[in-house]
Amino acid sequence: METGRKTGAHPSEHAAGVLEQIALASDCFLLTVAAPNLARAVSPGQFALLGCGTVFDPFLRRPLSIHQVDVERGEVSFLYRAKGAGTQWLSQRRRGDVIPVLGPLGRGFRHSGSGKKGLLVGAGLGAAPLLFLAQELAGRKWSLVILLGGRTKAGILRPDAFERFGTLKTITEDGSTPKKGTIIDLLQEELKKGGWDTIYACGPRAVLKVIQGISCRTGIPAQISVEERMACGLGACLGCVCRSAHSSGYLRVCKEGPVFDAGEVLLDG
Amino acid sequence: MVDLTVEVAGIKMQNPVMVASGTFGCGEEYSSLFDVGSLGALVTKGITLKPWQGNKPPRICETPAGLLNAVGLQNPGVDAFVHEILPGMKGYGVPVIANIAGFTKEEFVEIAKRLTGTGVAGLELNISCPNVKAGGMALGTVPELAAEVVEAVVESTSLPVIVKLTPNVTDIVALAQAVTDAGARALSLINTLLGMAIDIKSRRPVLGNVMGGLSGPAIRPVAVRAVWQVSQTVDIPVIGMGGICRGEDALEFILAGATAVAIGSAHFHDPWAAMKIISFLGRYCEENEINDWRELIGAAWKNK
Repeated sequence: METGRKTGAHPSEHAAGVLEQIALASDCFLLTVAAPNLARAVSPGQFALLGCGTVFDPFLRRPLSIHQVDVERGEVSFLYRAKGAGTQWLSQRRRGDVIPVLGPLGRGFRHSGSGKKGLLVGAGLGAAPLLFLAQELAGRKWSLVILLGGRTKAGILRPDAFERFGTLKTITEDGSTPKKGTIIDLLQEELKKGGWDTIYACGPRAVLKVIQGISCRTGIPAQISVEERMACGLGACLGCVCRSAHSSGYLRVCKEGPVFDAGEVLLDG
Repeated sequence: MVDLTVEVAGIKMQNPVMVASGTFGCGEEYSSLFDVGSLGALVTKGITLKPWQGNKPPRICETPAGLLNAVGLQNPGVDAFVHEILPGMKGYGVPVIANIAGFTKEEFVEIAKRLTGTGVAGLELNISCPNVKAGGMALGTVPELAAEVVEAVVESTSLPVIVKLTPNVTDIVALAQAVTDAGARALSLINTLLGMAIDIKSRRPVLGNVMGGLSGPAIRPVAVRAVWQVSQTVDIPVIGMGGICRGEDALEFILAGATAVAIGSAHFHDPWAAMKIISFLGRYCEENEINDWRELIGAAWKNK
């Protein structure tokens, strides 16, 4: 049977106190907040909507995937890039500030059984939802190979944290790591070794599309975490859709996703 | 407890706070967050005659103090609505107003007929959706055409007909007058403002549909103005909407002449916005010793 640990947990609002805001390279930040109820309720691959700003500008909450959870300490971490007004506001929050956090939201990564072989593929900020997943799968005795790619070495996010849960392999486009190339080069190499049960991936659409193709050709099941502009986060407004591969309609990224089976969606819009 | 009841188009509501079409789904998504049954009324997402896919993504683009949307009426069609969605919506125990969108006058009439006798409390005619190319927009911008649609629907159903007007016209008062004369029982003001955004990196429009409807606090003054103008001209109730986020905003619309208000995009900023607005109105009446809150409707122009 498939387990999505605590799937079906209802979302609620968490007045999350900022515990730590760490600036990583390339405008990326690691934000840790106190949100014990969220920590207990959330599963890997799910996300939360973070309120940014207090004067209705920015107006929309920002959807951020859950990067790491410490249930015992009641802490939840988000890995994000400060690229617009909302995430820049977030990046300026300091210990003691309170952020409204709505979650858990969406359908996360699915997995079943224990002791399987998983390949985690994170391109750039695509590393964000994979650490929590790695933690969960490692706890179920999965053997994991984690591939992280970036433009530069600084773009490889949280390598030390990932290393605790599996074999980490990295690649950069500028060759600032020993291996030079794209995440897809690294993936192709790893696939040759065979024996994979599932591929879990997050990153730019171009990368996810290649992984869809690989999954289709090799028959290795893949799950991809998709990003889209979002408003309500609850499935009500139909703002964040993605074309369904099985019907002529659309699927909601916030509700049927953000984690889709590779064959479930068409990423061409 | 303060009496916040009100009647709009013959529909009795426990308070004047409704949800705006399209932003609240069919209530189910929000029912895990709060008691949807404490709203004044529910308004459905736009319902078309046939199932409708909607526009290609991206459908959403944030803008200063608001957002553009071009969802394009994605919905399962009137028959699926009646059989699969409406039963659940009626379960909340508050009036359900069906927002309907035809591409022709005949379609509006057919949808209205199929909803009559199903338990919906009223119809809100969406003659002003900015995100659908065919028909819709023209029907809603020319007073004579709008009146024709309203008259045809009124004749075809026993349900009260509310008409949602677009602000994308030169003279919203003329439009309001025309649909009132045609038999509308209430008016919803305003629908979104037509807008667009361009991504300077790709040098292309952001929205898949190119243009979309602007909503949120950015449009509030436009909406307040429309409510002020129209409520002084017509003798049917006006439901005010457009960027209402806080209790103070709702009160502003009531003072401008709104008999009820609808909360839309605010749900995206704060899913509990409507609940907080209901509490605010009760508290405001208590603190200001207002016995009948309805005295506030149009007070800004009545007490000149």
